[in-house]
Amino acid sequence: MTTNSSAERPAADVRGGASPGLAVELAPGRKQGLRLRNPVMVASGTFGYGTEYQKVVDVQRLGAICSKGITVEPREGNPTPRIAETPAGMLNAIGLQNVGVRRVVEEYAPLWARWDVPVIVNVSGEAVEDFERLADALDGVPGVAGLEVNISCPNLRAGGKLFADDAGSAALVTAAVRRRTELPLMVKLSPNVGNVDEIARAVEAAGADSISLVNTFVGMKIDVAARRPFLANVTGGLSGPAIRPIAVRLVWQVYRAVRCPIVGIGGITCAEDALEFILAGARAVQVGTATFVNPRAALDVLDGLVAYLEREGIADVNDLVGAAQPSGALTPR
Amino acid sequence: MQLVTAQVHANDEVMPATHLLTLEAPEIARAAVPGQFVHVRSGPYWDPLLRRPISLAGVDGERIRLLVRRVGRGTELIAASRPGDDLDCLGPQGRGFTLDEADRRLMLVGGGYGVAPLAWLAERALERGHEVALLVGASTAAHVYPARLLPPNVEYHVATVDGSLGQPGLVTELMPPLLDWADAVYACGPHAMLAAVARLAAERRLTRRSLPVQVALEQRMGCAMGVCLGCVVRTKAGYQRVCRDGPVFPASFVLWEEPYDHEFIG
Repeated sequence: MTTNSSAERPAADVRGGASPGLAVELAPGRKQGLRLRNPVMVASGTFGYGTEYQKVVDVQRLGAICSKGITVEPREGNPTPRIAETPAGMLNAIGLQNVGVRRVVEEYAPLWARWDVPVIVNVSGEAVEDFERLADALDGVPGVAGLEVNISCPNLRAGGKLFADDAGSAALVTAAVRRRTELPLMVKLSPNVGNVDEIARAVEAAGADSISLVNTFVGMKIDVAARRPFLANVTGGLSGPAIRPIAVRLVWQVYRAVRCPIVGIGGITCAEDALEFILAGARAVQVGTATFVNPRAALDVLDGLVAYLEREGIADVNDLVGAAQPSGALTPR
Repeated sequence: MQLVTAQVHANDEVMPATHLLTLEAPEIARAAVPGQFVHVRSGPYWDPLLRRPISLAGVDGERIRLLVRRVGRGTELIAASRPGDDLDCLGPQGRGFTLDEADRRLMLVGGGYGVAPLAWLAERALERGHEVALLVGASTAAHVYPARLLPPNVEYHVATVDGSLGQPGLVTELMPPLLDWADAVYACGPHAMLAAVARLAAERRLTRRSLPVQVALEQRMGCAMGVCLGCVVRTKAGYQRVCRDGPVFPASFVLWEEPYDHEFIG
C-alpha cells in the first residue's frame, strides 16, 4: 500500500524525502499559542503594515510579520535627516511615525485576518497606561496574532529614561500588558544595557511568552563638514550586519538566563546568519534592515534554512535551537 | 514595480562624474514614466549597505536609461559597471510627472543633472502635441546637460552661473519672460531652485490664472518601498514619503520654508 500523507512518513527520515520540520511555538504556555509555520519573521519597522512588499515578494510564506511600531494616537515622527548609512549598517531616528492603533484595528487588522501569515503588532508607549490602552484596543481583534512590546521607549514619568533600561520598569510594562490581554506577548529587549540577563528574567517572570532581541544600538554620526550631528534627532538606532556579532552574543547570554522562547534579531541577511542565532539559542529570527536592501531577504533565509536542514539531515529546526551552547550549562527547558 | 536583474548595455560619462547607463530591463521599461526612479543595489555585498535611488532619464524599447552622479562609494560602484555586468534593480518607483491635455504650453526647468527626467518628459510631451520650453541651468558649461541627449525639436534655453554658456546667472532667471506663456511648469533640480520655481509661479498666480507646478524632489532613501519612513518631506498634509507619495509633488503642497535635507547617501 502506498501513502502520500506527509504525516505518515517517518519524521526522522529526512534524507528519504520528508520535508524538515519548521514549525515553532512562541507562546507555549498560552491557550491560544503562537505557532509559526516557520521561524523566519520580519522585524518591526522594516515591513510597514505588511502590505507594502506584497507586489515584490510572497509575504504569505513568512513565519510572521511584526508590524510597524504603533502608538495610541497617530504620530508624525522626527524631522529629517532621519537615516544615515554607516559601515555595513544604518542609523535611523524615525520617531515612531505611525497611523495610530485605531486605524490599525479598522483598516489593517481586517486584511490580516484573511492572511495565512500571522501578524504580530508591535506596540509602543510613553507611559504604562499607553501600553494598557494598546492591549485593550488590540485584544480579541481578528487578524492580531500577538503583541510585540517595544520597551525601548522613553518613560515620560521617569524623565525620559527608557522602560528597557532597567528590570523593574521593563517588568512593570510587561505585567501591565499581561493583565489586559490573553494575546501572546513577545517583549523586545534593548541591547543598550549592561544586565540583559537580569532584564530578560524580569520580563519572563512578569508574563512575557517570548523575548525578542535585539532592538537597535544607540549610535551617532557627526557631519564633519557642518560640524554638527548628522541626524536631526542627534542619536539614532544602529542596525544591519554591523551589529550581528553583538546581537548573537546577547542571544547566547539570554538563552542561559530564561526558559521562554527567544527570537533573535540583528543584521541577519542569509540562512547562515539566521543559523548563528538559532544555534546560540533563538527559536525564531527576525530579518530587518536586510529587507530594505533585498526585499526577498527573509524568504532567502527561509529557503536557505530548509536547504541546510535537508543537506545536514536534520529532521526539525527545533533540534538546532541552542545547539552551540555547551551541554550541561543550560537552564532546563 | 519589480525586482529585476538588469544587464548593462552601455555606460557613457555624459558630464563630469555623471554617467548615463543603458540597461536591459523590459519590465521596468514597459511601466516607467518620467519623474520615476529605480532603486539600484551597488553590489552583492552588504557594504555599502543601502540601494541608491537613480533617476530614470528615458526608455528605449526594452531598455532604460539611468543618470548616475558619482557622489560616494555606492554611486561610484554603480557608475563603474560595464557592458555585460548585471545590476540589481527595484523599479520603477514612485509617482512620476503627469501631463494634462488641457495644458498646451509647458515650461520645464532643470538644474544640473535634474534635467534628465525633464528631457524625457519633453520627449513625451512633444509626441502628444504640447509646446515645450526647456530651461537648463548649471554652474558651468561642462555641467550643462548635453544637447545631444535632448529631443531634437525642443526649444532650449541655457543659463550658467559663471556665464560660460548661455545667459549668465541662475536657471530661474530665465523664467519671467515665459511665465505668461506657460500653462504648467515642471521642475527638477536642487531644492533651493525648486523653491524659487514655486515662488515665481505663485507670484504669477496673484495676478493671473493659477500656474500649476510639479516638482521632482530628491531625498536620502532607505527602502524606497514606503516602509522605512526615512525619506520624508514636510507638506501641507504632514510628512510625506518622497519614495512613494512622490518624488513628484505639486509645488503648492510642499512646505518650502521648512528645513529640508536632501544630501544623497552617495
